[in-house]
Amino acid sequence: MASHAPLAHDAETARRNARVGLMAFAGALFMLGLGYAAVPLYEMFCRVTGFGGTTQVASASDAARAEALASGERISIRFDASTASDMPWTFRPSQATDTITIGQRDIATYVARNNSPLPITGTATFNVEPEQAGKYFNKIQCFCFTEQTLAPGQEVTMPVLYYVDPAMLEDENMKGVEQITLSYTFHRTKDPVTLASAGTD
Amino acid sequence: MGQMHTRMKIATLAALAAFAALFAQVPAVAQDAAAQATAPDAGMIEAVSEAAATEGSYTPMAPTKGKGMPTDPRSDEPGAMAKSLTFQDQYTDNGIYALGMHDYILLPVITVISLFVLGLLLYVIVRFNRRANPVASKTTHNTMIEVVWTIVPVIILVVIAVPSITLLARQYETPPAEAVTIKATGYQWYWGYTYPDHGEIEVVSNMLPEDEAVRRGEPGQLAVDNRMVVPAGVPLRIQTTASDVIHAFAVPSLWFKMDAVPGRLNEKLLTIKEPGVYYGQCSELCGSRHAYMPIAIEALPPEEFAAWVKAQGGSMPGEEAEAAAPASEEAAPEQVALLTAR
Amino acid sequence: MATTAEGFDIHHDDHAHDHADHKPGFFARWFMSTNHKDIGTMYLIFAIIAGIVGGAISGIMRLELAEPGIQYLQWWAQFMGGGNDLNTALHMWNVFITAHGLIMVFFMVMPAMIGGFGNWFVPLMIGAPDMAFPRMNNVSFWLTVAGFFSLLFSLFVPGGSGPGAGTGWTVYAPLSTSGSVGPAVDFAIFSLHLSGAGSILGATNFITTIFNMRAPGMTLHKMPLFVWSVLVTAFLLLLALPVLAAAITMLLTDRNFGTTFFDPAGGGDPVLYQHLFWFFGHPEVYIMILPGFGMISQIVATFSRKPVFGYLGMAYAMVAIGVVGFIVWAHHMYTVGLDVNTKMYFTAATMVIAVPTGVKIFSWIATMWGGSLEFKSPMVWSLGFIFLFTVGGVTGVVLANGGIDDNLHDTYYVVAHFHYVLSMGAVFSMFAGFYYWFPKMSGRMHSELLSHIHFWTFFIGVNVIFFPQHFLGMQGMPRRYPDYPEAYTFWHEISTYGYYIMAGSMIFFFVNILYALAAGKKAEANPWGEGATTLEWTLPSPPPYHQFETLPVITDSMDYHDHRPATA
Repeated sequence: MASHAPLAHDAETARRNARVGLMAFAGALFMLGLGYAAVPLYEMFCRVTGFGGTTQVASASDAARAEALASGERISIRFDASTASDMPWTFRPSQATDTITIGQRDIATYVARNNSPLPITGTATFNVEPEQAGKYFNKIQCFCFTEQTLAPGQEVTMPVLYYVDPAMLEDENMKGVEQITLSYTFHRTKDPVTLASAGTD
Repeated sequence: MGQMHTRMKIATLAALAAFAALFAQVPAVAQDAAAQATAPDAGMIEAVSEAAATEGSYTPMAPTKGKGMPTDPRSDEPGAMAKSLTFQDQYTDNGIYALGMHDYILLPVITVISLFVLGLLLYVIVRFNRRANPVASKTTHNTMIEVVWTIVPVIILVVIAVPSITLLARQYETPPAEAVTIKATGYQWYWGYTYPDHGEIEVVSNMLPEDEAVRRGEPGQLAVDNRMVVPAGVPLRIQTTASDVIHAFAVPSLWFKMDAVPGRLNEKLLTIKEPGVYYGQCSELCGSRHAYMPIAIEALPPEEFAAWVKAQGGSMPGEEAEAAAPASEEAAPEQVALLTAR
Repeated sequence: MATTAEGFDIHHDDHAHDHADHKPGFFARWFMSTNHKDIGTMYLIFAIIAGIVGGAISGIMRLELAEPGIQYLQWWAQFMGGGNDLNTALHMWNVFITAHGLIMVFFMVMPAMIGGFGNWFVPLMIGAPDMAFPRMNNVSFWLTVAGFFSLLFSLFVPGGSGPGAGTGWTVYAPLSTSGSVGPAVDFAIFSLHLSGAGSILGATNFITTIFNMRAPGMTLHKMPLFVWSVLVTAFLLLLALPVLAAAITMLLTDRNFGTTFFDPAGGGDPVLYQHLFWFFGHPEVYIMILPGFGMISQIVATFSRKPVFGYLGMAYAMVAIGVVGFIVWAHHMYTVGLDVNTKMYFTAATMVIAVPTGVKIFSWIATMWGGSLEFKSPMVWSLGFIFLFTVGGVTGVVLANGGIDDNLHDTYYVVAHFHYVLSMGAVFSMFAGFYYWFPKMSGRMHSELLSHIHFWTFFIGVNVIFFPQHFLGMQGMPRRYPDYPEAYTFWHEISTYGYYIMAGSMIFFFVNILYALAAGKKAEANPWGEGATTLEWTLPSPPPYHQFETLPVITDSMDYHDHRPATA
């Protein structure tokens, strides 16, 4: 800029202002987008890293690979069940704890009963504790993968087919973990689904 | 489990000792419980406390003033004023460690820093006011001093960080497989405690009205009708969840606070050093009666805990599994539909 | 040196005499204003009004907490049109804490610091004739006002157990979704949308103004530190507020349109809301304090007659605080169920912030060191700020430790901590700035005696309110409780006495303003003497309606400690 004093209002300044202003506004819009993107990103992050005790989904071949690595070490698994306040189901594990071989697939069952006079559809949220175990807790099949619908008074047993990845034995963060708790909470699905469409049994 | 454990040996030994003691006591306790198992109100504290005089099973423990509760500076307890200025006395190893860290590192450091800044300000005010120093210097840089006041805080923070990280590591030690498991569920506005390994005992814990609490010699707004009873001296696996909105399970004298989040389970190891009643309050805004859902933990010697379990109609793990099994099996599902979801 | 300013004034007046004071009519001037000084004045008046409302609510709260039991809430419940039952009364408590928090953060501190002082003095300090987008500036202000009305409106419509939104200023799901039926929470959220939109527009405006509208020779490294502080703040606003907007929009759709972003029943996660909220919320606390840092720097330099010590360190310390402020959010969520590594990271990262903050504290002291200090009202408020902000800062270091926070989280210790940094840090800096710039803005001198009395009574009052709250917190008293066990009575009672002192002290403030406006001595262009080196002191008090029609030129030869043009 020169030593003489230029005028404040000129077209050049206005153009430069518009450019910087738009860039700043674009920055704000980007952050707005990031705010929404956080929902899928967070979910993905939890799924990949096991953050917050998020369990993994494994295929049968993953399970076979894990089984090959099993060295016979055992670990205790605790099964926990909760229901949300608006869920008129009784929901509990068939047994509170089980001791399994790390790497070997195992099956656990939960029992759910619809105590209301209406058919109720529910979905289960889940996590494991301690949280660092999320990465190593693999479900091959689980009732929590889909919605479940129970007729009035209906009681069902629901299985989880899972294994604990032997890789946990190498993880410093998993040292001293003697028991992993697998927890489910059943929530009433917001949109009521008719029994026929879900067709459980 | 052939793997190495990093958790403290002492805790393990204490746990083993406590369990040994527990099993040794079982037969006598079981008979006691059986003798009064017909009492219909066995689960209700009021009934039990009245019956206690004659039958001697579970009587809610009287709280000790100044233990597990806040201290009133106006009370005639010696040193009450001084006690009201700091943390409650701690009854867990981690609580004692954390309190020590606060009292011997953090508090001195922050006090010295605050007084140092105050001292500098006062010095500057006295030495460099307009009368004392009419002509201001024009110094605006001193690389040496700028480096010093960047490096020194870093060193102080590192000094703080070492015990801080150690404390976190200790707090995150995982409970042993045989730890006594209690699940605390937050509801609007009360707590529910379940004991999955003790015959699914369920305790519903509501705040006592002020006058009732006073009548029982307990602090108002902290006392509850049914306490969360646990064994002292053994590792506990505390799990929290909530059924409606977020609550937080907090007990200041145990240095314990964990949110109860709907749809997920949180877990933490807790070992209470000695028997006593420890009060806490919900610590996450949960609606209108947020202030009225206190927590009362009663830690009992393990054998008395076993007696309490019996009085609740529950069973100790392992010991009565066979006896309890048929009963629970009968309640099992009549129609078993195996859902093979995808 | 003082002749410099006067010499420039004459020079300026010569140039701008013809239309510098040509003002539009009343309605056009105040309702469709595009003048940064008028908009700044409106923001300040608005902030004072909001501060009176927010402060009155805190009075209701302190009164209720003076003794255990529920004293006045039933009455308030009925007054606000709710039922006569205990649940409604208790709900009113939650409404009050929510309104107090939202008003003080969004409608008092932010409008005063950024909208008020920022609008008034950023253009003046960088030698710009106005903000880059004057019309957008006006839109920002009225959006903020609309937001305030939306919040006030929410107090009178159903919000669950009674009228008003009782979710806390954090609006955590699911309490704010399935936990609060009725439109009150929607209006509270909408209020945040409006004021947030206003702030984003304002931030855009400040960034553009500071980047593009600086007078010739006013390089970034010659800008006064207050301008630096507003620039950093504007970036924080621009990057943090949209995330809040996204989060609360998702709350709205969860509440009204059946989405399940934060509802576990549909696969959502309430903890994610907390992550999003605090990703905004932590930068937000720096948004509230950084402009204060800037003002303190100007004032300390002025009344020490000495340039700011370590200018570059000061500027980049603020940048560092801003940057680090974005990566420490989960220290507000230590008890939510984080794993050990996450908690260790956030503990370490949070403590790092103490370093640039320490640089600032020590640089202010070094600025005074060797100076020639004059204890005019802005200076005593600044000295109070430095000490009290240090006290609030060090308790922040205590809370940064995840393991220690397990006991202190959501207790009165936290309340004491953030009131020391905000109710004393931010508010002391605002009073310092107010007394510093009031003569410039109004053209009248306020009473030094009244402002000193205001300082001392306020200083005693707020300390009596908040220091005992540390004790309550350590003893376990949880936040957001209208009622408490007997044992906490003593310190709550003391705290409430402190409120009376503080409220009484505000009388001196208002009397002082009225006195100055009615009978105050006419202010010179530079009432503070040779220490006041920034450009606003080169203009008459009050400055002409349009200033710098001809831009001042800051020469290259000048050191960056001197922000005046090279005339004289």
